[in-house]
Amino acid sequence: MSKPENPKQRIFIIASTILGCLLIFFFGLRAFHAFMKFKGHRPPQPAPGQIETDVELIREWMTIPFIARMYYVPEKVLYDALDIPPRENRDKSLEEINKEYFPETNGLAMQLVKAAILAHQPPPTAVLPLTPIPPLTPLPPLTPVPPVTP
Amino acid sequence: MDEFLLTQVINYGAPLLGIIVFVGGLGVPLPCTVIVIAAGAFARQDILSWEAAALISIVSVVIGDSISYSFGYYSRDKVLSRFSSSPQWAKAEESFRKWGPLSIFFSRFLVTAIALPVNLLSGTTGFPFRKFFLYDLFGEIVWIFGYGGLGYLFGSQWELVSEFMGNFGGAVLGVIIFIFGIKQAWNWQEKKKMLSM
Repeated sequence: MSKPENPKQRIFIIASTILGCLLIFFFGLRAFHAFMKFKGHRPPQPAPGQIETDVELIREWMTIPFIARMYYVPEKVLYDALDIPPRENRDKSLEEINKEYFPETNGLAMQLVKAAILAHQPPPTAVLPLTPIPPLTPLPPLTPVPPVTP
Repeated sequence: MDEFLLTQVINYGAPLLGIIVFVGGLGVPLPCTVIVIAAGAFARQDILSWEAAALISIVSVVIGDSISYSFGYYSRDKVLSRFSSSPQWAKAEESFRKWGPLSIFFSRFLVTAIALPVNLLSGTTGFPFRKFFLYDLFGEIVWIFGYGGLGYLFGSQWELVSEFMGNFGGAVLGVIIFIFGIKQAWNWQEKKKMLSM
């Protein structure tokens, strides 16, 4: 075992303690931010089998069949919105589709897909207002029943 | 890289997920935890069958880990010829025998950054393969079902879960390094006291 006075050992101890503190601070802060984002800013996601309606969840890496399945929209609706043939584009991400078909407009494919989904979703049904309940009126006093005479 | 792999997982399903975690088990730095959490969310959306995805992933990652253990095991002679005479090596072997099971288990899912060094060290220090396999399997089951389960539970919000878990793992690594540093400092002080007596 090396002598405790070894300066290398001292440097190693100081470096590992400082590195540990830095990692705790850096990743701890990022984890805290992720937790706060998660806690506050998202609507509850749908239960399994329910339709996803939030189009802001669409990402560049998603493919058309995946998006169609996620939002319960026929694939044809999305391909028609993009005006591209389905067969050779099934495996391509939105980013790849954008690069290939809309190279001059960044993010256009995603915007078209979002618009098509929103147009395809059923309009939200209005909730009817509740009918007001009339205030309770006091009941009239009971009239005494005359005794039955034989 | 994350986005490319996610696109391929939704295109090719559980087999590709298995290949990714296998390659990750070999030590190639891939975003495996992100992919596992996303796979859980895909299972919720019926894109993947969770049973098939879980089974293929566990088998693949355990094979990958076992191969990286073997890298350490078969390079043992070379390592020993260089370091076996040093007392530090004997101490490292001894402490790995003591802490090995815990480090194998927790490095599978909590501090994944040290999984490869732990696999290599397990092989190099001659840690019994059966024990390695057992702790590795339990750890990977927790990883797949725990992280995949979080993805399934939080569905479309899996990205935030993934961000949180990734950073949490980094913070845990920081805690381990910090405790290690403090322990070394403590030992140093103890030795100093003993020498001065």
